[in-house]
Amino acid sequence: MVDVSKLRETAREIISREDVRELIGYRAGTYGFRARPAFVYDPGEVDQLIFNPACVNNLATYITLEEKLPVPRGQEPDLRKVAVMVKGCDSRALVQQMAENAYERDRILVIGIPCTGVVDMDKVQARFPDVLGPGEISLEGDKFVLIFDGRREEIPKEELLADKCKRCRFPTPLVYDVLLDEEVAPFATDDYSDVEALESRSQDEKWAYWEEKFSRCIRCYSCRNVCPMCYCNDCILDRLRPQWIRRSVDISENTAFHIARAYHLAGRCIQCGECQRVCPVEIPLMELNRKLYKDVEELYDFEPGVKVDAPPLLSSYRPDDPEDFIL
Amino acid sequence: MAAKKLSKEKVGEVLQELSKFRLITPVKSDDVVLFREIADPKEAFLEYGNSTVPPKKVVFPQTETLFRFTIGNPELREKNVEEEGTTVIFGLRPCDARAMSIVDKLFSWDYEDPYYLKRRELTTLVGMTCVQPPSINCFCTSLQGSPFGKDGLDVLLVDMGDHFLFQPLTEKGARMEETLASYLEDASPGDVERASSMEEEAKGKIVRSIDPQGIAEKLPSLWEDPLWKRVSDACLGCGICTFLCPTCHCFDMQDEVERGEGRRARMWDSCMFCEYTLHASGHNPRPTRKERTRNRISHKYSYYPKRFDVIACVGCGRCISLCPVNIDILEILEQVVEA
Amino acid sequence: MKNPYIPYEAKILEAWYETPGDRCIKTFKVTFADDKVWETWSHRPGQCAMVGIPGVGESMFCISSSPTEKGYLRFSIMKVGKNTTAIHELEAGDTIYVRGPLGNWFPMDEWKGKNVVTIGGGIGQAPLRPVIQYIRDNRDDYGELTVIYGARTSADHCFKDEFQDMMACGDCCCHLAVDVEEENWPHFVGFVPQLLMEVSPSPENTIAVTCGPPIMIKFVLKNLEKLGFTPDQIYTTLENRMKCGIGKCGRCNVGHIYICKDGPVFSYEQIKDIPEAFA
Repeated sequence: MVDVSKLRETAREIISREDVRELIGYRAGTYGFRARPAFVYDPGEVDQLIFNPACVNNLATYITLEEKLPVPRGQEPDLRKVAVMVKGCDSRALVQQMAENAYERDRILVIGIPCTGVVDMDKVQARFPDVLGPGEISLEGDKFVLIFDGRREEIPKEELLADKCKRCRFPTPLVYDVLLDEEVAPFATDDYSDVEALESRSQDEKWAYWEEKFSRCIRCYSCRNVCPMCYCNDCILDRLRPQWIRRSVDISENTAFHIARAYHLAGRCIQCGECQRVCPVEIPLMELNRKLYKDVEELYDFEPGVKVDAPPLLSSYRPDDPEDFIL
Repeated sequence: MAAKKLSKEKVGEVLQELSKFRLITPVKSDDVVLFREIADPKEAFLEYGNSTVPPKKVVFPQTETLFRFTIGNPELREKNVEEEGTTVIFGLRPCDARAMSIVDKLFSWDYEDPYYLKRRELTTLVGMTCVQPPSINCFCTSLQGSPFGKDGLDVLLVDMGDHFLFQPLTEKGARMEETLASYLEDASPGDVERASSMEEEAKGKIVRSIDPQGIAEKLPSLWEDPLWKRVSDACLGCGICTFLCPTCHCFDMQDEVERGEGRRARMWDSCMFCEYTLHASGHNPRPTRKERTRNRISHKYSYYPKRFDVIACVGCGRCISLCPVNIDILEILEQVVEA
Repeated sequence: MKNPYIPYEAKILEAWYETPGDRCIKTFKVTFADDKVWETWSHRPGQCAMVGIPGVGESMFCISSSPTEKGYLRFSIMKVGKNTTAIHELEAGDTIYVRGPLGNWFPMDEWKGKNVVTIGGGIGQAPLRPVIQYIRDNRDDYGELTVIYGARTSADHCFKDEFQDMMACGDCCCHLAVDVEEENWPHFVGFVPQLLMEVSPSPENTIAVTCGPPIMIKFVLKNLEKLGFTPDQIYTTLENRMKCGIGKCGRCNVGHIYICKDGPVFSYEQIKDIPEAFA
C-alpha cells in the first residue's frame, strides 16, 4: 500500500518545481466510498491527495483531454509539465499515447503507483447503498477493509475487486519518473476465458446478446470521453461533413458506433476498463475490446501500451503481416 | 376524488387491463432498469429504486421524426403523434413526474411544441411513492419535491406495504380510476392519514440536501469565479449528467436520407458536448468544459427559474450517482452558496 | 396553430453573388410556392427565418429585405458550413424552404422622429439592410439616416450597388471603408470603429444600430460611448448556433436569454451586463 504521507510529500516537491504546471491525482469523493480525480496547482493543495483501492479513475485521460485554446497575442504557451499519478494499467495508456506521438515524454511527469487492485465501486455500492460517508477502503492482506460511520467491515478481496484487476499482469507502472512504493509482482494471468465464451456463441446468439446491450445505449459518449486512447481532435462521431454515424439513437446507429469505436481501438486499447466502468447503462464494452485485443495478440504478436518505442500496430507495415483473413 | 385501495396481488391484472393502451413500465434489461413498452405484465419490474434513464424519454423520445419527405418531391409529411395512441406510464417516481411538469413550461412557452404537448396529452402518469430513497444522492425534498410528491402525476400509488393507496389526482386520473374500477376497493379507514405519516417518515430518510434560496440571484454574480474551473477540471465532457437528467430537454435537429426517403428528426443533445455551441465559422462561445459546466448549473438554477419560476432540477440524484468522475451538483451548489 | 417546425416551400426568384472568395456571400430573392402564405406572413426589420433544404438541414438567417419590399424575401448568406454550402449550390428556379418569421425586431415604431446611424461590418450589414430600406421607404417618419459600413476590401462589400444608389440619391449619408489601402478607393481606409469616430454622429435624438464581427462590435460600442451614446440608444443583434429557432432546443442562450426567441435584436442596455453575450 502506498503511504499517504510519502505520496503527499512527493506531490509537494513536484508541484513546487518551476517546470510543473499541475499535478493530477486522487482525492476523496463526495459520498460513500468514492474517490475522484484531484487537480493540484499549488503546494498548499497537496494534503487532499490520497491513494486507496477506491481510486479507480485512469488519470492518463486528462493528459489528452484538455482543450487547446489559442494562445492570446503577446503571451507564451504554457509548456510546463503535467504531473500525473498512474497505476500499472493506467501507465500503459501513457505508453501507448506516447508511442502514437500524442505528446513528447518530457511533457509529463509520471508518478507511478504500484497497485494491488482497485474495487468495483458498483459492488461496493450494492453492499453498502446507504453509506453517505466519507467511507474509507483499504486492502489488508486478502481483505478489503471498509471503515465508515464508526464501523469496520472486512470483505474478501475477490468479492469487491474490479474484474480487470483479476487478470492484471502489469500492476507496477511501465513508465514513471517517481515510483511511490516497492514494485508489485503480477498477481494474475489472463486466460481470455471470457472472450472464448463469447467466441463460442452462434452468430444468432451473439446478435441477440449485443442487440439488447446496444439498444440501451444513449450515446452519452462517456465511453469515448473517458478513454485515454480516444483523443482525436476531430472525432468521426462529431463530424457532420461527412457524417459517418448519424446522431439518431437506434440499434443500427448505436451498433455502428460501438463497432467503429472498438475497431479504432484495435491494437490501441490497453484494457484499463474505464469505458465499461463509466457506462451508465452497463454495456460490457470490454468484451468487444478484449476480443480485438486477443485477435491482435494472436495475429500480430502485438500488445499495445507496453513499449514506448514500439510502432503503433495498425499504422505500420511489416512485409510478413498476416493477410489470410483478408478476402 | 376519493382514494381507493389496490391490492398488490391485483397489480398484474391491472397491468393486463392497461395493456390495451401503450403501456410503459420499468423493466430490467440485464441489471439496468429502464422504462420500456411492455406487452406482457410479467415484464414490469416494479420493485425498483429508480430507473437509470428517466421516463422523460416517453414524452420526449431520444430520437423522433418531425416530418418526412421524398427527395425530388416538395411535400413535407408531418409526423402524427396521435398515432402513438393513449399511453400509460405505470410506476414512475414522483421526482420524474415533477420533472415533466417543469419541462412542460418550456415546451408550452410562447411557441407550443406540438410533438411534446400532444404526447403529454396522450399520456397518463401513474406514479409510485418512494418508501425508501432510491439513492443515497436523492434530494427531492430540497426542491419542493417529496418521495410522496403529486406534481405532474395523474394517479399516485402510495405503497402501504401489502397494498397501494390509489389516489387519483387529475381528470386523467379519474378516468384511470374508472378504467380500473373493477380492481379497486374502498380504501381502508385511516389509510390516508397513515399515508401522510409515512410521507414524513420517507422524507426523513433523505440524507442529502441543499438550500436553494438565493442561488438563482447569486449565480450570475459568480460568472468569473475560480470555482467553475475547479469544479470542471475533472469533467470528461460526456452527456451522462444531461441525458440522464429528467429535466434536461436540449435537442439537436438533423436531416437523414436513405435511398431518396428522408426525415428531419430531433434527438437529445447535451450542453456538455463541445460542438453543442460550435458556430459554423469555427468560433465556440463556450470553448471549454468550464464554460459548459457553468452553463449547465446556471441553466438549471438561475436561467430557468428566472423565466419559468421553477428550478430545473428535481433532486433525483442521477447526475451525481452516475457521473464517472464524481462531479456532484450539491457540492457545486454549496460552493456557490459559500463563494 | 401551424406546426412551427414545418417550413414553407419557396422558390428562388433570383440569386447573385455579393462577394467572392472561399467564404463568399450570395443573396437569394425568394417567394413562397403557395401565394396564400403571403396573406398570413408578416415580418419586421431584424427578424430571422430558418432557411434550408430537406435532406441537408436548415440554419437561421436574418431576413435582409424590408417588409416594405413586397412579394419576396431576401437572404444574404455566407458560405461557411454544411447548410450554407448546399444553399449556395441553388440558383433561380430552385426550391428552398423557409420557416419563420422568427425572433424579435428593431423597434422601428419607437424610433420614429429620431435620427438613425447604422454601423455595419462585412456580412453584418445583412440585418441592417432592412432597417435602412424601411427608413428610406418611410422617409418622412425618421430624422437623418447615417450609414457607416466597412469590409476588408471593396470586393468584400455587400450590397455595393445599393450603397452607390444611397450616395447618389441623397436621402441618407453613406460612409464606406476598407481595412487596407487599395487602388482607386475614394473613401475611408481603416476599420469601421475608426470611421465611426471620423463621422462622429451626434447622440442627440439618435439611435445607433451596429452589426458585424464581434471584435468590431466591441470597439464600436466603446466608441459610441465615447461619442456620448447611452446604452439604451445603442442596438445590436446577437447570433449563436441555433436549431429550433423557437426557444426550445436550448443551445442559443446567452445567460437567461434565448437569442432565437428574445432576440436577435437587443439594446446594449439589455445585454451589457450579460458576459456571455460577448463570448
